Amino acid sequence: MRSAMPDLTAEDRAFVDSLVGDQPAGWDVAGELPDDVLRKLGTRGLLCAQVPTAHGGIGASSRSNGEFTAHVGSLCSSLRSVMTSQGMAAWTVQKLGDSAQRAAHLRRLTGGQLAAVCFSEPAAGSDLAAMGTTIRRVGDSVVVDGHKKWATAAAYADLLVVFGRYEDGAAAVVVPTSAPGVRVERVIDPLGCRAAGHAHVRLDDVRLPADSLLGGVAQGLPLLVTTALAYGRFSVAWGCVGILRACRTAAAEHASTRQQFGRPIAEHQLVARHLAELYIAEQTASRVCEHASDCWDAGSPEVVVATVLAKHVAAGNAARGAGSAVQVLASAAATDGHVVARAYRDAKLMEIIEGSSEICQLILAEHATSVR
Amino acid sequence: MTIEQETGEAVATPAGIEEQLVSYLEERTKARVTPDQDLFRSGVVSSMFAMELIVYLEKEYQVSIAGGDLKLDNFRSVAAMTSLLLRLRGSSDAVGDA
Repeated sequence: MRSAMPDLTAEDRAFVDSLVGDQPAGWDVAGELPDDVLRKLGTRGLLCAQVPTAHGGIGASSRSNGEFTAHVGSLCSSLRSVMTSQGMAAWTVQKLGDSAQRAAHLRRLTGGQLAAVCFSEPAAGSDLAAMGTTIRRVGDSVVVDGHKKWATAAAYADLLVVFGRYEDGAAAVVVPTSAPGVRVERVIDPLGCRAAGHAHVRLDDVRLPADSLLGGVAQGLPLLVTTALAYGRFSVAWGCVGILRACRTAAAEHASTRQQFGRPIAEHQLVARHLAELYIAEQTASRVCEHASDCWDAGSPEVVVATVLAKHVAAGNAARGAGSAVQVLASAAATDGHVVARAYRDAKLMEIIEGSSEICQLILAEHATSVR
Repeated sequence: MTIEQETGEAVATPAGIEEQLVSYLEERTKARVTPDQDLFRSGVVSSMFAMELIVYLEKEYQVSIAGGDLKLDNFRSVAAMTSLLLRLRGSSDAVGDA
């Protein structure tokens, strides 16, 4: 039993550490996470730790879940990506679903079932208004047709939260991957987060009970997507803090022990600068993420822009920081599977997903002009 | 529980809520806002700011805005937000377990 105080504990970290061990390098090379690791974490509620206790979750604060997300991110960004997907699916159900849908689906997501969220399409990436997936009401059913791309964790998922056009607006629908007409095709050799189960999803005349439609009514697409992405951005941002911690630790360890020209390379000034920059990147990313989480926990409206800021700063810092770490470790990190090699590939993807750096900059620019 | 009991002040009347929302929006956007103005069409509110507004309303009025209530029309004007708030505060069920 968990203690009465709902939050993540040191035992939760130890549980993850014991399940993960030294396996992330092998997972990266194989491009696969073991199913039982995901199910064990899921059953303990750790893949979406902010789900309220009333729905079988841990009821963690954003700050506590953020720190936990960073810890998992420092071990394995593929596993952290699965957490991001599961948490985003849970958050979407929690915000868009009615009380019966929350009760039904959140219990599954904290009971060992796995979920992914499907936004992107061949012609709709940053411009989600170009979304072509349709959800239609036919009698007592809803029918879903479309083609989704690059859905993280979809290869492992039991449930998909699929966004599409509905009536005069848009909606999100919960689709079991076992439903007839659903085809999940794994992305072969993704650049980063190689074991995160990225997949393309084809939905061909998928017929579901009408109560699969979250909230039951058409809503505005931008608001729907912004709602779902709020959690995703926050989770990616904290995951990037984890990438930076892993890189700073590996670079500091290597630079303190590797000798060249008669002394540890950390004593060479140009190498020392890389170490300083890694430390700065990690610390600044941590602070913006802490701020975003504190806004989330306080219910402050600033959470919206603070989360975009955190995602943008943390992803950019992680991509640059991982590059510096590769430079410091050099050939010691130049093989796939190495924590720093993984960070280098994984961090680059973090500048792209959940709102590219450019989209984040546009949002931040709009905010800057609106609060002058 | 009545609205008056929960907030204790004049803010709980429709006029009080409207007044508070107008002043929040004007402060935040530096634009003039009227209760019936279409905030989206007039460009005062973007979808990001709509999210901000939702968090503000949830915190300030102790409601949970979820499910079908998240639709954009509920945030289109100060008048629409006021009637949403009055409805959510009127039924304790709607506060729900989100």
